[in-house]
Amino acid sequence: MNNVKEVIIAFMLTISLFFSSGCGQDDKIPVQTPSRQNCKEEKPAYGDMLIEGAIGDASNLIPMLSSDSASHNVMGLIANGLVKYDKNLVLTGDLAESWEISDDGLTITFHLRERVKWHDGVEFTAEDVLFGYRTIIDPKVPTAYAGDFMEVEKAEVLDKYTFRVTYKKPFAPALGSWGSLVVLPRHLLKGVDITKSPLTRHPIGTGPYKFKEWKTGEKIVLTVNSEYFEGRPYIDGYIYRIIPDPATMFLELKSGGVDQMGLTPTQYLRQTKSPKIKKNYRKYQYLAFAYTYLGYNLKNPLFQDQRVRQAICHAINKEEIVEGVLLGLGEVATGPYKPGTWQYNPRVKRYSYDPDKAKKLLKEAGWIDSGGDGILKKDGKPFQFTILTNQGNNQRAKSAEIIQRRLKTIGMKIMIRTVEWAAFINEFIDKKNFEAVILGWSLGQDPDIYDIWHSSKTGPKELNFISYANTEVDSLLEEGRHTFDIEKRKELYFRLQEILAEEQPYTFLYVPYALPIIHARFRGVEPAPAGIGHNFIEWYVPLGEQKYHFTP
Amino acid sequence: MSEEKLRYLFWTRFMKNKLAFMGGLVVAFFFLLALFAPCLSPYDPGDINIKKILESPSPDHLLGTDQLGRDVLSRIVWGSRISLLVGFVAVGISTFIGIFLGSLAGYYGGWIDSIIMRFVDVMLCFPSFFLILAVVAFLEPNIFNIMVVIGVTSWMGVARLVRAEFFTLKERDFVLAVKAQGARDSRIIIKHILPNAMAPILVAATLGVAGAILIESTLSFLGIGVQPPTPSWGNMLTSGKDNIEIAWWLSLYPGLAILLTVLGYNLLGEGIRDAIDPRLKK
Repeated sequence: MNNVKEVIIAFMLTISLFFSSGCGQDDKIPVQTPSRQNCKEEKPAYGDMLIEGAIGDASNLIPMLSSDSASHNVMGLIANGLVKYDKNLVLTGDLAESWEISDDGLTITFHLRERVKWHDGVEFTAEDVLFGYRTIIDPKVPTAYAGDFMEVEKAEVLDKYTFRVTYKKPFAPALGSWGSLVVLPRHLLKGVDITKSPLTRHPIGTGPYKFKEWKTGEKIVLTVNSEYFEGRPYIDGYIYRIIPDPATMFLELKSGGVDQMGLTPTQYLRQTKSPKIKKNYRKYQYLAFAYTYLGYNLKNPLFQDQRVRQAICHAINKEEIVEGVLLGLGEVATGPYKPGTWQYNPRVKRYSYDPDKAKKLLKEAGWIDSGGDGILKKDGKPFQFTILTNQGNNQRAKSAEIIQRRLKTIGMKIMIRTVEWAAFINEFIDKKNFEAVILGWSLGQDPDIYDIWHSSKTGPKELNFISYANTEVDSLLEEGRHTFDIEKRKELYFRLQEILAEEQPYTFLYVPYALPIIHARFRGVEPAPAGIGHNFIEWYVPLGEQKYHFTP
Repeated sequence: MSEEKLRYLFWTRFMKNKLAFMGGLVVAFFFLLALFAPCLSPYDPGDINIKKILESPSPDHLLGTDQLGRDVLSRIVWGSRISLLVGFVAVGISTFIGIFLGSLAGYYGGWIDSIIMRFVDVMLCFPSFFLILAVVAFLEPNIFNIMVVIGVTSWMGVARLVRAEFFTLKERDFVLAVKAQGARDSRIIIKHILPNAMAPILVAATLGVAGAILIESTLSFLGIGVQPPTPSWGNMLTSGKDNIEIAWWLSLYPGLAILLTVLGYNLLGEGIRDAIDPRLKK
C-alpha cells in the first residue's frame, strides 16, 4: 500500500500482492463488472471488519527489518511515510504536507503535517524522521534498504515540522525513498537495540489502523485509529488471517471466514462461477507489479557461457508456462520491468521457442550428446543441474516441472528441489548454495534496480545473489539513479534491458495477474493503476449489511 | 509333521481365509502393474499438455488428466513402481537391521542384549514419523534417501520379534545338539535358528511394506518425499488437494491406489500370520 521503494523478495508473491503497490496504466480493470444488488445511493457508515486471507505470516513489523511482502502489507495500514504513491502511482504527500526540491536537485525540504499523533498519543515530529534515517544507515541494523540512504550527505531537523536532506549527487529515487521505511517512533526506540525492540511484534505507527494483537501463524488484528489525520476510516477492524493453503483459504472464503483473498488462476476461472459467489463477491484482475524468473548461479561453470543461457531460453516455451501455470492470467516477461510502465522496453531481443536453435547454440558451446543416451556432455561431464524453489508456491513448482520437461528434450537433466521458505533464503540463497532458482521479485515504482544487478551487491544477504557482473550495466545503473530527466533515464534503462535480454542472466518467465476477490458488502472499492488497496480507508459497509461488531 | 504336510496345512488355511486371499490378489495385481508399467500405461506419465489441463475422465484419458495435462492413469501405473520399490527396499533394510541386532541380542543375551534392547527402546521413544521428517529435511529428498530413512527408522519391531524367537529357539534340543558338535556361533544363528524364526519375520515384513508405502505417500504428500516429475501416489494427492472441488479424480484415484495397496498388504500379512499360528489350529 505504501511506497516500499526497494524491491522486496516476493514471498509467495502472487497470493499476497493485492495490498502492495499495484499495477500499470494499461490494465483491464475490472474484468467482471461488480454485481451490486441495487443502484440506489448508499450512505457510507462506520463499522464492520474485513478479514483478509494470506498465505504467509509476517516476520517482523518494523518495515526496515523485514523483506517479505506479508510484513509490508500489514504495516501499510499501520505506518505512514513522508510521501506515498497515490492511486495513479504519482508521488503525493503523506506525513509531509509539501516539499521543495532545490534547483540543483540536491536538497529536499519536507514540511511535515502538524499535530499528527503516534498511536500511543505522543506527537510526531521531524525528530522521528531523523531518527529513522540514522537507524537505517546504522551498519549494525540488519536492513536490506540502506542503499538509498547512503546517498544522503546530510539530514537535518530545521524545526519541529521541517526536515531537510541533502544528497551528494543528484539521486533520482530520492523523493520516493522517503516512505514508511524511515519513519520510526523515536520516543520508543531511542537507545534500544531495534532488533530486540517490542515494536517488532507490537508496532506503533501513525496510520489509519492500530495494532491490536498478533497470534503467530494465525492472525494479526488491527483496529481503527479514529484520530487518523486523513479522517477516520469507515471499517472498524482488519484481520490478516494466515491460512497457508490456497484451497483451504478458498473454502474459508466461501464459508464467510475470509472476506478478501488473492485467487489462484484456477479458482478465478473455474471455481468462482456459481451464482452465489457472483452475487456475494466481486473479483478483480490486474497485472501485478512483479515477475517470476529462472535465475542462474553465474559462479557455476555450467552457466558462465552466455550461449548456454540463451539456449535454455530458446528451449523454454514461455507462452506454455503462462498458459499452463497461470491459465493465461499473466503475460510473458522479457525483462525486469512490468509491461506498460514507462521504463519497460518492448523491443528487446526475444527468444522464440526453438529447441533446434537451442541445440545448435549448445553445440557451439561444446555440449554434445556424445554417449548417445540423450544427455549432453562436455569433457565427459553431463549437463545436469537442480532447480531450487520455495515450498508453498504452486505456480513456481509447476513452472519448474514444465521447464524440466522441455529441457529434457534438448538433453539436459534437471532435478527439482523445493525448500521451506526460511531455509530457502538462509541456507541456499544467502549462501549462494544453488545452481538455478525459480523466484520472483515484486517491483517498486522507481525503475532503479541497482541492488539486484550491480556487481557490488553480491555480498552475503545482498540481492545480486546470482553474482551478475557487467561493467556497462554497472555504469547504466549508476547513471540511471543519478539522472532526473525521465527521457534520459528511459534511454538508460532501455539499454539495460537490451543487455539483460542479450545476456540472459535470468530467464524472465512471466508477470502474473493479481486476482483479488472481495466480499460484495464492501463498497467504495476503486480499481486504479495502483491496484485496489489504495483507498482502503474509504471502503465502507452500509449499515444494513454489516456483519461484525468490532469493539476496538 | 513333515514339511510337506505343514505346507499343505498353510495353504488350505490361507485359501480358506477369503480376506487374505483378496489381499494377495490385490498385491499381485499392483505387483504386475509395476512390473509391466511401460506396456500398461497408455501415455508417457511426464507428457505435459497444457491444452488438456484438468480434463475429467473420458475414453481418451480413463482417469482424467492433472493440472499439467498429464494422464492420471499413466501416472498411477508408474507410481506403483515407486510405491513398491520404496516398500520392498525400505522393508529389506529394516528387516536386515532387525534380524541382525535381534539375533545378536537373542542369541547372546546378557549385556549385549541389554545394550541392544536399550537402544531399541531409545529408538522407539522417538515418534518415528517426526524423526523421518527431520532426517529428510536435513538430507536431500530423493527416493534413495527416503528408502534408507524409512528402513533405518522402522527395524525395532523386527528386532524385538527376532530376539524373542531366539530366546525360545536357542534352548531347543537341535540347537544344543549342533552346539555340542562345536559349530561356530554364526553358523548356528544363520543355519539353524534363523530359518525356524522366519515365519513371524515374514509376517512382520509384509505388514511393514504397507507401513513403508504409507510413509512414502505421506512424505511425498508433504512435498519432501519423491520429487517431481517422478509420479508417486503421494505427490499426486498433493496436487489433487488443491483442485479437489473441480477435479475429484485427481484425489480419488491415487487415494484408492494407496488404500487398496496398504489394505492388500495388511490382509495378506494377517492371513499369513493366521495360517502359520499353531494356536489357531482347528
